[in-house]
Amino acid sequence: MSSLTSSAPKLKRDETASLLIRLRRLTRSYAFRIIAQGLITIWAVTTFTFFLIRLMPGNPVDTYIDALMQQRNLTLEEAQRAAAGIFEFDPDEPLVQQYVNFLSKLVRLDLGKSITKGGTPVLDIILRYLPWTLFCVGVALIISFALGVLIGLAMGYWRGGLLDNVMTGFASIISGIPDYILALLILIIFGVQLQWFRVGEVRGGVDPTIEVGFTLEYIGSVLRYAFLPVLIYVLASIGTWILAMKSSTISTLGEDYITVAQARGLSERRVLTSYVGRNAMLPLVTRLAISVGFVVSGSVIIEEMFQYPGLGRNLFVAIAQRDYTTMQGMFLVITSAVVFANILADLALGWLDPRVRLDKKVD
Amino acid sequence: MKAHFLWLFVASTLVLGAFGASAAEAPSGTWLGTWPYTAPGTHNLNSFATGGLNDNLGVVYRPLVELTPAYYMWATNEYMPVLAESWGFVDDSTAYEFTIKEGALWSNGDPITSADVVNTYAIGRILGWTQFNSVANVEAVDERTVRFTFQEGKQSLLAERLILKEHVVASANYGDLAAEALALFEAGKTKDDPEWAALTSKIQEFRPETLIASGPYTYSLADVGEAFMTLRWQPNSLYSDKVRFGELKIWSGETEVTTPLVLSGELAHSTNVYPPATIDSFVAAGIRLVTTPRGYGPALLFNFKVAPFDNKLVRQAMAHAINRDQSAFLTNGLGASGTVFMSGILDSLTPVLLNQEDIDALNKYEYDLDKAAALMEEAGFTRNASGKWVDSAGNTISVEYTFPADFADFSAAARDATAQLNDFGFDIKERALPWQEAANAIRNGQFQLSVWSWGSGAPFAFNNLNNPTRRWTAPSLAPEQPGTGLDLNAYSVNGQTLNDAIVNVNAGLDVEQHKARAGAISRLINEEVFFIPLNEMLSVEPLNEAKIGGAPADDDPIYQNPSNDHFLIWLILNGTFFPAS
Repeated sequence: MSSLTSSAPKLKRDETASLLIRLRRLTRSYAFRIIAQGLITIWAVTTFTFFLIRLMPGNPVDTYIDALMQQRNLTLEEAQRAAAGIFEFDPDEPLVQQYVNFLSKLVRLDLGKSITKGGTPVLDIILRYLPWTLFCVGVALIISFALGVLIGLAMGYWRGGLLDNVMTGFASIISGIPDYILALLILIIFGVQLQWFRVGEVRGGVDPTIEVGFTLEYIGSVLRYAFLPVLIYVLASIGTWILAMKSSTISTLGEDYITVAQARGLSERRVLTSYVGRNAMLPLVTRLAISVGFVVSGSVIIEEMFQYPGLGRNLFVAIAQRDYTTMQGMFLVITSAVVFANILADLALGWLDPRVRLDKKVD
Repeated sequence: MKAHFLWLFVASTLVLGAFGASAAEAPSGTWLGTWPYTAPGTHNLNSFATGGLNDNLGVVYRPLVELTPAYYMWATNEYMPVLAESWGFVDDSTAYEFTIKEGALWSNGDPITSADVVNTYAIGRILGWTQFNSVANVEAVDERTVRFTFQEGKQSLLAERLILKEHVVASANYGDLAAEALALFEAGKTKDDPEWAALTSKIQEFRPETLIASGPYTYSLADVGEAFMTLRWQPNSLYSDKVRFGELKIWSGETEVTTPLVLSGELAHSTNVYPPATIDSFVAAGIRLVTTPRGYGPALLFNFKVAPFDNKLVRQAMAHAINRDQSAFLTNGLGASGTVFMSGILDSLTPVLLNQEDIDALNKYEYDLDKAAALMEEAGFTRNASGKWVDSAGNTISVEYTFPADFADFSAAARDATAQLNDFGFDIKERALPWQEAANAIRNGQFQLSVWSWGSGAPFAFNNLNNPTRRWTAPSLAPEQPGTGLDLNAYSVNGQTLNDAIVNVNAGLDVEQHKARAGAISRLINEEVFFIPLNEMLSVEPLNEAKIGGAPADDDPIYQNPSNDHFLIWLILNGTFFPAS
């Protein structure tokens, strides 16, 4: 009995020591450090934006009154009457108190309620609009990345050819045109002048007369309404992918293993896909991961011009109205998306190339 | 057998009655307008909340859904009946009454009664409506008449306008909230009590499932899309048999979003502000333009704490040095006119609100660089070798002119004033800011020169004289905000401080007294040049006659109404506008 009682604490000590070792090992692991860094980054950015947002000139009430007077032609008295009592916001509450309240709600995943939208939960707003942005900008990113990589690869491999000359010019020009100029040009030239489509019929996210559901009609409508925004995102971003891939391909072509592969008599197709393409694409993967993070924020101007129901358009409205809680929630989602995309990229790189993990350990 | 016949008769009458009621059929045709309504998700049908009817339908479309008692005609200075059949001050002017038209119904079939008005104002009191600055009590006199009792000495024509322009809401939706509001008020609670704040939140968070309309149009949340919303005709309104559109399709968005829609002919009318080049495109596309007053214009604001703008002579010189006709053209093309009277009241209202002798006494500050130079010299300035004005210490007038970058019209006015004043010998640098920041810079006194609106969309001297002279300084701002730094108590008008004189200019109901008081204040503003009203802006609105018929000719008096008594409210309600074939 006594041996049993004396061995029990020893067993417990061993277990504790083993747990500590495992914990130490975990904290020293590459994945743990990357994730911890990410979480600290999210907290730091969230804190920074919390105070930055509140340092912006104008509180929601003053901004609302100014907007009504300036943009809706209301008199001061009418604007004050319209603004009376509609904001659930106390500008006199100490900032630190606001921050503590915000953090205590955040840990419970409560992003609070919109200041300017009559108490609508911010999470509801985000959940409603996020899928549209993810779909529209996500699809555009996939298309522009895939096409850009293919075209850039071909241009780099057959550099100096007709395709290279034409597409270099095209990519240089198109990557220099802002997306909203492209959108305006498409609307005015093809919508107003040539009347290929009715301008009003390309606005929104879906035909509001079609019942929501997984029906061919509804999905078709979603795709139809997303067509122009996606096209504009693709046109606005494909040039960058093309040029980056071309550059990467050219530098890869100078590697010894490509010469060896060609000397071995491998087919051109095999060299192009297995040796050149795969290696040239590696630097672009990190870039893609970062772009995936920014997909969440959408494109404010394009969403506004097409009245597309995305997060970017709502963020624009929230900033203009100084809707602190909504801005805060949206920035949190965007920050988290960028940080997690980077974490995934780091983890993927660490998995693909063990030297990355070892280097970190040595550091 | 007799009983059977009786039942048959009653049933037949009911059936016929029902057919009679539904005999009114929706007119055909669609109105194609625009308003930047709240997107689905946060869009709601609450008449009192943000994201509700006020935001979604605004001053133009809300009166077609929730009727106001009356509609004001600016040309004739009179109210036209809408929901009310009669109105006016009671004999001793201690109260105001209006009577709802007989037969007025909500869209759910309930009669519109004085209880609805009382309930509307019960909620308004909780929310702190400006009407309660003068109104003490709102009560039903009978089924259709409601009385507003004024606080002692607070009866005014301004209060009348606020009463007659207020939308009445349905008790079927808001009755419970109104009952709570009345109970709180009767219990002596005030806005400092937690119950008051709790009820305010409750009102804000209330989400009516259906909109109960008094106007000929209504809608549900299912009618709200991302790109457009549709207001649908309903049969029970006083105006259901008058309007000639079956639905009003309202496109979402502001100027940049609606421009292609106007050009492609998918938008028949728009209240957005378009730049001159876009207006030219509309003309080239054969779209008619209708011009109405906007009720304001850009004004050059001084920071009175910054030398030399604390010097009246310098301000007067600047008024002479700016060509206001040029300012108008560069601000908004043909959609603006250079200010003439410099009275602190819009030019269109000056002859109505001031006596002729006061108007004659006003300095018009014609564009005259010689006069401007003489005033600068009188103020102690001389020109240096570069032609710049310098004070006795040799300092040039080197200041910043802050303006809102996102308001194209105000930016243009500020930039033109900068260029003209620099040509005259000032050294002004432009500073563009986001509009919220520009407004806040004025509030916080963090500017030297700035631009913001002057005038008002209300036909009263108070609203005009208040903006911007009183709007941007104490006591209109928070104590810690210096604003323009203009000390209103340092000036006296008829034995009152300027602040009190402006506040009381429309006190009482004697219009002649109003004119006399306004005249004295106008003379002071004119003499002191508290701001320079650069020009008065017009709203140039596209009206596509391929889509809409019945628009009156350009010289019709209805177009004298500014945007917040918009002409289309009256012309749609009374069936003047109709769908073009």
